[in-house]
Amino acid sequence: MSTATLDTQTGSRLLANAAASKPRWERAVPVYGFPVVNRFFVALLAMTGLAFVLTGYRELAGLGPVSGMNDAYGWGIWKTFNVMVLTGLGSGAFAVGIAPWVFRRKRLHALMRMALLTSFLAYACGLLLLGIDAGRPWNFYWIVFPWKWNMHSPLAEVAICMSIYATIPLAIENIPPVLERLWYFDSRLRPGVEKFERRLHYFFPWIIAAAYLLPGMHQSSLGALMLLAGERVHPLWQSPWLPLLYLGAASFMSFGCVAGATMLCCVMWKRAMDMEILDEAARITAWLIFGWLGLRLLDIVFRGALGTAFHADRFAGVFWLETFLIAGGGWMLWRSLRTHKTQTMFLGYVLSSLGGMIYRFSPTTLAFRPNPESLYFPTTIEILVSFGFICMGVAGFLLVVKRFGILPAPLQEWHNMAAYFRFRRPYIRWTGYFEHGFFSDDELEREQQLELTDSD
Amino acid sequence: MAITRRELFVSIGKAGIPAAVALTVGAETLQAETIPIPSAAVGLLYDASICIGCKACVAACAEANDTPPDTRGDQLHQAPSDLNDLTRNVIKLYKPEDGSAFSYVKRQCMHCLDPACAAGCPFQALHKDPESGIVKWDSDKCIGCRYCTITCPYHVPRFQWMGFNPRVTKCELCSPRLEKGLQPGCTSVCPTGAVIFGPRTVLLSEAHSRIKKEPGRYYQGRVYGEKDNGGTQSLYLSRVAFEKLGLPELGPESVPARTLRWQRRLYQYFALPAVLYVSLVQVIRKSLKGHEQEAHEHEKETGLRAQL
Repeated sequence: MSTATLDTQTGSRLLANAAASKPRWERAVPVYGFPVVNRFFVALLAMTGLAFVLTGYRELAGLGPVSGMNDAYGWGIWKTFNVMVLTGLGSGAFAVGIAPWVFRRKRLHALMRMALLTSFLAYACGLLLLGIDAGRPWNFYWIVFPWKWNMHSPLAEVAICMSIYATIPLAIENIPPVLERLWYFDSRLRPGVEKFERRLHYFFPWIIAAAYLLPGMHQSSLGALMLLAGERVHPLWQSPWLPLLYLGAASFMSFGCVAGATMLCCVMWKRAMDMEILDEAARITAWLIFGWLGLRLLDIVFRGALGTAFHADRFAGVFWLETFLIAGGGWMLWRSLRTHKTQTMFLGYVLSSLGGMIYRFSPTTLAFRPNPESLYFPTTIEILVSFGFICMGVAGFLLVVKRFGILPAPLQEWHNMAAYFRFRRPYIRWTGYFEHGFFSDDELEREQQLELTDSD
Repeated sequence: MAITRRELFVSIGKAGIPAAVALTVGAETLQAETIPIPSAAVGLLYDASICIGCKACVAACAEANDTPPDTRGDQLHQAPSDLNDLTRNVIKLYKPEDGSAFSYVKRQCMHCLDPACAAGCPFQALHKDPESGIVKWDSDKCIGCRYCTITCPYHVPRFQWMGFNPRVTKCELCSPRLEKGLQPGCTSVCPTGAVIFGPRTVLLSEAHSRIKKEPGRYYQGRVYGEKDNGGTQSLYLSRVAFEKLGLPELGPESVPARTLRWQRRLYQYFALPAVLYVSLVQVIRKSLKGHEQEAHEHEKETGLRAQL
């Protein structure tokens, strides 16, 4: 019979609360009522498939025929965009995670699962492309012999740290939603799941700490990569502070990615937004941006490179573009705290992240000038592979948010979902969600009605 | 509840004191770090003022390294315009428009005493031979990341863009020939002795004696590579400015020492990351306790399973 775990009184109180006050994100709830497979999803899969086919061609033909890379520009967009830029954008597990766990901004726990998922997908896709971009990937096995590492190489740092981070701490941090799904799936799994959870929580501090130390190290080492290139990186970008600036850019970009993506999902799937949490995230992002811009400006001034920003060349153009995007985004975020306009906030996130992306892209490509006669422009195949792997990440995201509790929502949303699976889609019993929620006062009647219709 | 002031000070103390110790220890060792010159360092001395640009060395280099001649320019002559996937050694011509002094230049690996390519190479595929000081490439360790093509200040290592098994090509001073007691391909054929092979010390004194013999003949009266970029094992003498020949003025400090100083200091003995890790664990452990408690309270209140 009725297996709802709540007495009706508490339930009604909660419902009343939710209706009366501003929406609060209290629980991660799967997106329900939308099919995973739709036209957009199929298109994403098609692009991913195409990317894999082209990857096969690349493995046989070599890098020359498929890419625009040359002796002067040894790195193409697979490394400079998909790895250096997109893992920065996907550093949410680091930047958004460190805020509640280390700096005790507890409200941001609500965004945690979004941050962990986006990071995992960004890193997984980035690492895959790193493997495809490597000319001799079979030699990656040296990664398991620490005494063969070149400990002082920034690239070794990046390759080793990133693979360890994505496969161990970040993957483990993403386990709780999976365990939760199993817990609801079948009551017979529950003792095992609970035991595993207890064990996981015991080790959690060590895992989470590694999940902040490692990205802190490799996101800054991504900046250190270009230090060795010396003069060939334009003086507006080449700086001993590159590692810190890269880390800072990753921080505000990933806030933008996590909060912005959450807002977008809320609009797309018609969920309430918790302005208290979003305001806090926007405030932190704005401060990060202002601090970062200050450091960047001071660095440029003290190195005496400010003059080059006023030359009429492409470098100055890129510099002002990224600076205005980041500053404008920061200003809009700051403004949205006063006006409480979600549109301004969202635009602020988009602009600042875009600026950050250009910043992280510049030292390797836009502001890299190995010699005057060489040029690099990605070929169609390069762009398709790069895009295909982004599509794979997006498809993975769409699949996971519809099957696991990732997106934050008001408590009421959970009950709605449980009711949805109980009454509207009684045949989807396998989710297990249908028996955990407060449905309504006349639940018993509806249940009986349902059983009547079932027996017909 | 944000982090309290007391807690902040305590964690800074916990993390900071060992960190400070680690940093000072690290700093001392780093200051003592000088670039060791390999005991049996060998190299090349190229005198651009004697070179007649016959390119015999280019052909000999390809032959010695068992590479097909690069005739991709006109399908007939072995005339590569720059170092590339088939060319480890090339002769280039610097000829200014205004008719002032022109010069040939031979480009090959400089075999730096502190090579930037090896500093960046993730699994030590490019490494400096501890005895001869030759910068060698190991096909078993190279992952083909092409970081060497970006880091080398002389832009020497080149990547083979074609095929599923690409290699990095650069001058390895004909190491197999040296083992057999032969000279490198390029020096064995040079008709004018513009490029000679020998121990670095001998080459240096030879270069200095040439400068002494004819003061004013050579640019700035100095040997490029004696101190430049921390010292190199390929040495250059020239009448025209080294920069015009593609040998940038990098200063006496090597590129890795100059740019990765802080990187190296921060990761010295892995001490600082370890200290940071332990203090992070302490802070997070406390946060986790609080968060778990809140989650369970919330669970009691809502009747729904806690989400962590």
